[in-house]
Amino acid sequence: MSIVLIGINHKSAPVEVRELLAFSESACSEGLRTLVDGDVVREGLIVSTCNRVEVLAETAAERLGDTLERVNHFLTRTDSVPRSFFESHVYQHTDDEAVRHLFRVTSSLDSMVVGEPQVLGQVRRAYSIALEAGTAGRILNRLVHHAFRVAKRVRTETGIGANAVSISYMAVELGKKIFNSLEGHTALLIGAGEMAELSARHLVKAGVSRVLLANRTAERAQNLAGELGGETIQFDELPRHLAEADIIICSTAAEEYVITEQMARESLARRRNRPSFFIDISVPRNIDPAVGKIANVFVFDIDDLESVISSNIREREREAERAELIVESEIMQFQQTLRVLDIGPTIGALRNKLQGIARSELTRQRNRLGPLTAEQEAAIEALLVSTVNKISHPLLSHMRRSSDSSDAEAIQAWRDIFGLEE
Amino acid sequence: MRSLLLAVLAAYVVSAIHAVLAFLNKRRALQRVSEWAMGAGFALHTAALIADWAIDGHYPLFYPRETLSFLAWTLVAAYALVLYRYGARPLGAVTMPLVSLLTFIAVIIRPATSDRAEASSLAASWLFPVHTTLLLFAYGAFFVVFLASIMYLLQERELKLKTFSAIFHRLPSLTMVNEIATSSAAIGLTLLTVGIATGMVWASSRDGRLWHNDPKEIFAALTWLLYLLLILYRSSASWRGSKAAWMGVAGFALVLLTFFGARLMGGYHVFG
Repeated sequence: MSIVLIGINHKSAPVEVRELLAFSESACSEGLRTLVDGDVVREGLIVSTCNRVEVLAETAAERLGDTLERVNHFLTRTDSVPRSFFESHVYQHTDDEAVRHLFRVTSSLDSMVVGEPQVLGQVRRAYSIALEAGTAGRILNRLVHHAFRVAKRVRTETGIGANAVSISYMAVELGKKIFNSLEGHTALLIGAGEMAELSARHLVKAGVSRVLLANRTAERAQNLAGELGGETIQFDELPRHLAEADIIICSTAAEEYVITEQMARESLARRRNRPSFFIDISVPRNIDPAVGKIANVFVFDIDDLESVISSNIREREREAERAELIVESEIMQFQQTLRVLDIGPTIGALRNKLQGIARSELTRQRNRLGPLTAEQEAAIEALLVSTVNKISHPLLSHMRRSSDSSDAEAIQAWRDIFGLEE
Repeated sequence: MRSLLLAVLAAYVVSAIHAVLAFLNKRRALQRVSEWAMGAGFALHTAALIADWAIDGHYPLFYPRETLSFLAWTLVAAYALVLYRYGARPLGAVTMPLVSLLTFIAVIIRPATSDRAEASSLAASWLFPVHTTLLLFAYGAFFVVFLASIMYLLQERELKLKTFSAIFHRLPSLTMVNEIATSSAAIGLTLLTVGIATGMVWASSRDGRLWHNDPKEIFAALTWLLYLLLILYRSSASWRGSKAAWMGVAGFALVLLTFFGARLMGGYHVFG
C-alpha cells in the first residue's frame, strides 16, 4: 500500500499555473470519480485553494508507478492542459513524504502566512467532498483524521497562530491588550477606507458594542454604518465625539492632521484619563505624532503596525520549528497506524516464514526418502504447502479481523510471536 | 512541625516550577498542575500553622522563622484571591517562586530556643494575633499591587515603544493590571489602617503609650501615608496609569523597609 501526493502550491508555481489547475468544488467531486478507478487508484482526495492544488491518492505498493502516471495525467484534464505547462512546478511525494506534506499543510506550516487558520477548514471541506464522492476509504479516513489531530496539537501546543499578522487583526489584538475586553467599548472610524472597514468588522466581531463613522462623503459612511450597525457623525463634529471613542481608526486622504495634540488632550480630560488607542493607517499621517507622547494615549501608525507584524511573523516562524517536531513524531505514530491498516505485508511475511520452514524441513529429510519421481516430489511439496496453509488459515483470518477493527496490539503480538521483523 | 513544613515546601516548589513553565510555554495543563499543587500546599500550610500554634502555645507569628512562613502563607492567599477574581495567572510565575523561597528559609532557620517566656508573655494578648495577621495580609496585598504595577509599567513602555518582547503577549491586559493594583491597594490600606490601630491599642494597654518613635512605627506611618495618597490620586480620575504604578512600586519599597529594615535598626518591636 502506498500514499501519493502530487501538487503545486504558492511556492512552487506562479498564480497563472495554479489557476489553470485549480478545481471548483463540483469539478473536485467529478474529478475524484474519474481519478479513483478502484484498481490503480483506490482512494483519492483533492485540496484546491487559491494557494495550492494537491491530489492525494492511495494505491497498492506495486501500482505506485501507474498511480503517479495516472495522477499526473489527471492533472492535465484529459490533455487539455499541456503537461509541460506545469511539469516543472509539480512536487511528488510518496508514503512518509506524502504524509508529512499533508500534516504540514493542515497544520498551516506550508501556508503563505504560517499559522493562518483557514487552511484547516479548506482541508476539511476537501475531505467532505471526497466523502460525498465516495473516494475516501479506510486509509484516507485515517490519514485525514490524523492530520486534523496534528493540526489541533500544533495549534494548542505552539504559538504558531498566536499573534496578529495583519493590520486589521492587530487593531483587535492591541485593543484587547489595552482594554482587556472590547465589549462595552466604542470604535470611531475616521475615513472609511477598505483597511479601516476590515478592521471595524473585526472589532465588531470581537465585541465592540458601538461604532461611530466620520467620512467626508456621507453616503459611503451611511452605507457602512448600516452594515456595521453604527452611527455616522459629521466630520466637523469630531472634536466633540472623540472622547466617546476608545479605539480610533484613521484612514483619510487628508493632507493635514485630522487629530491634533490639543484635540487628543481635551478628549483625554473628558474621558477622565481613560486610555485611548489610535490607529493611523493613512499616509500622510492623520494623527499628529505628538499625540503619541501623551500619557495613556497609544498611537500606532502604519510603520509601527508593519514592524510589529513582521516581528510577529518571525515569532510564528520560531514557533513553526517546534511545530515541525510535533509533525515528525506524529508521522511515526501514523506509520504504526498504517502497519495495522495495511495487513498485507504482515500476512505475506508470515506466510513466507511458515512456507520457508516447511521447505527447509523437506530439504533436511529429503535424503532419507530415497529416489522419487518428479510426480512424487510435487505431491510432497503440495502436501507441505497445503498443510501449512490449512493450519495458518484461521490465524490469517484472525489477523485480518484484527486489522479491520484496528487492533494494533493484537497485530504486534502476532508479529512478535512469529519473529517478523520490520 | 518541620516535616509538615517540608511537605508544604515540596508542594510550593512543584507549583512554582509549573507556574513558570506554564507562563513560558502557555500550557493550560501545566497551569492546572501548578494550581492543584498550590492548593495542596496551602491546605498543608494552614494545618502546619495551626499545629504550631497548638504545640508551641503561642500564635505562630513571633520568631523570624514563623513570620516568614506566615508571610508565605498570606502571599499564597493573596495570589489565590487574585486568581479567583481576575484569572491573572502570570502573577503565579513570580509569586510561587518567592513563596517557595520564603518557605525554604523558614525551613532552614533553626527554631529559636531562647526565651520562650518572652514569646508567651507578649503573645498572651488577643491583640497580638489580630495586629500581626492584619499587617501581614496588608503586606500581601501590597505585594500584589507591586506586581501589578510592574506589569503595567512593562506593558505601557512596550506599547509606547511599539516593540513587544516575548512576555508582552503573556501578561494580563493593561486594564486588568490597573484594576488589580487599584483594588489591592484599597484592601491593603484598609488592613494596614486596622492593623496599625490595633497595634496602638495593644501598646497603650501595655505601657499607656500609643507611639514609641520606633523605626518600624515611623516606616509604617510613611507607608500608610503613601498608600493613602496613592488611593486618593487614583480616585481623582478613572485611570491613573504609570504615575500610580510607580507609586505602587515605591510603596512596596517602603513596605520592605518597614518589614526588614526596621528590624535591623532595632526598637520597640521585637519580632520580625
